[in-house]
Amino acid sequence: MLAPAAGAAREYLQLFVAEPYLELHTGPGRGYPVFNVVPREESVDVLFRRTDWFKVRTEHGVEGWASQADMVKTVLADGSPFKYELGDRGGFSSHRYETGVFAGAYGGANLISAYGSVSLNPQMAVEAAAGQFLGRFSNGETADLGFAHVISADTRWSPLLLLGVGIAHTEPKATLVTPSNRTEQTAYVGGGIRYYLTRRFFMRAEFKAHYIFTKRNQNEEADEWKLGFAFFF
Amino acid sequence: METGIRVLLLTAALALLPGCATVRNWFHGRHAANSADTQAAQPSGTPEASGSNGPDTQTPPRVIEPQVERRTIKVPRIRSSNVEVGLFYGALSIEDFGTNADYGVTAAYHITEDFFFQGEAGRSRGGRTSFETLSGNIQLLTEAERRFTYYDLSLGYNFLPGEAFLGRGVAMTSAFYLLGGFGATDFAGDTKFTVNFGGGYRVVPTDWLALHVTVQDHLFQTSLLGVTKLTNNLEARMGATVFF
Repeated sequence: MLAPAAGAAREYLQLFVAEPYLELHTGPGRGYPVFNVVPREESVDVLFRRTDWFKVRTEHGVEGWASQADMVKTVLADGSPFKYELGDRGGFSSHRYETGVFAGAYGGANLISAYGSVSLNPQMAVEAAAGQFLGRFSNGETADLGFAHVISADTRWSPLLLLGVGIAHTEPKATLVTPSNRTEQTAYVGGGIRYYLTRRFFMRAEFKAHYIFTKRNQNEEADEWKLGFAFFF
Repeated sequence: METGIRVLLLTAALALLPGCATVRNWFHGRHAANSADTQAAQPSGTPEASGSNGPDTQTPPRVIEPQVERRTIKVPRIRSSNVEVGLFYGALSIEDFGTNADYGVTAAYHITEDFFFQGEAGRSRGGRTSFETLSGNIQLLTEAERRFTYYDLSLGYNFLPGEAFLGRGVAMTSAFYLLGGFGATDFAGDTKFTVNFGGGYRVVPTDWLALHVTVQDHLFQTSLLGVTKLTNNLEARMGATVFF
């Protein structure tokens, strides 16, 4: 029944419909109408995926979009079920990489920041963040590298502890007394919370207390508050 | 006495030998996975090795060596196409500094059918204010300071997805989208925190190409003309992006 096409090197994944039928939509979205159905035991070639939708081609050459929810009910040529993970709570608890963007405040200035992290295990991750702060008295950039410890990785709300080092480059505005630019080392300790939204998507809020090691007599402190969106993969 | 010691030693030996044997088996069992791998890796060496071990091995010698190679089924990877990269060209109205052409690059990542992240960077140029035009030679900004450069990071929401039709034969998926985000604008010798929001229309004629019309407002505070005020810098543009 499932004889492979002789000599034809298949480029696409071939899946067989195991439910009574597979619905094909005209576009990659829940609202697009169903224009074709693939009956049980017929196959489709998976051309590519966009978000939760797979563009497939039927044996008759008809191309359409099938949802992930329907596609995971199909089977491979050897009869084993087709599995495809698009992100869920399990992935939120345990994943390899995450990245996101934040808006917030850094030492009284506005902050735009982005981060990426590599998880060593579900609780511990190495994170790198880069930010630009724009204030009334100075502008500048920050870069941080540190550890994040997720306290309760498998809950929807999971608190974090943050610890690391960084650098801060500050460009005071010309109206101030000391207008020279400076780059200083920093260290931070902080905490945060992340909240799982859907699929691979979560929100994250965090606070970092930065200690800036200056060349002057006194070290400085700068508080960083930020809120952002992130996704894991 | 002597016999007693012998009996004791023999009992100890009897107790030890099966004990050692079970420990060996236990150890063997613990590393069964590893040894299975090595056996699989060296199929020719295995029968001789087991032969030399003699009565130690519990597996009987194989009568038939299967010559069938296990067929490895290679499942093709499904290409994902969630990243959209492209260029745009349009007009930007810089408050007090007239309207000028702007151009730039965008990159978007589609997370779900509803939401996407978008980053963009663009450049335009501030013209002359009406004050400069009326007063003759006075220049508020140098030529370098008139350059208007911005970037922003936005979250997009596909609002009203639908289809656009071109005659009877062509149907293209499309969507209106809302954008909101923040970034920075470098203009008039200063970099300002900027909030942007707007919307656009995307039509996707082929699987890999999308065409956009976008209207956005870039808001930032400036005190360039004496008083601190929030400026609205409206942008209208067209773009083309390619899905990867």
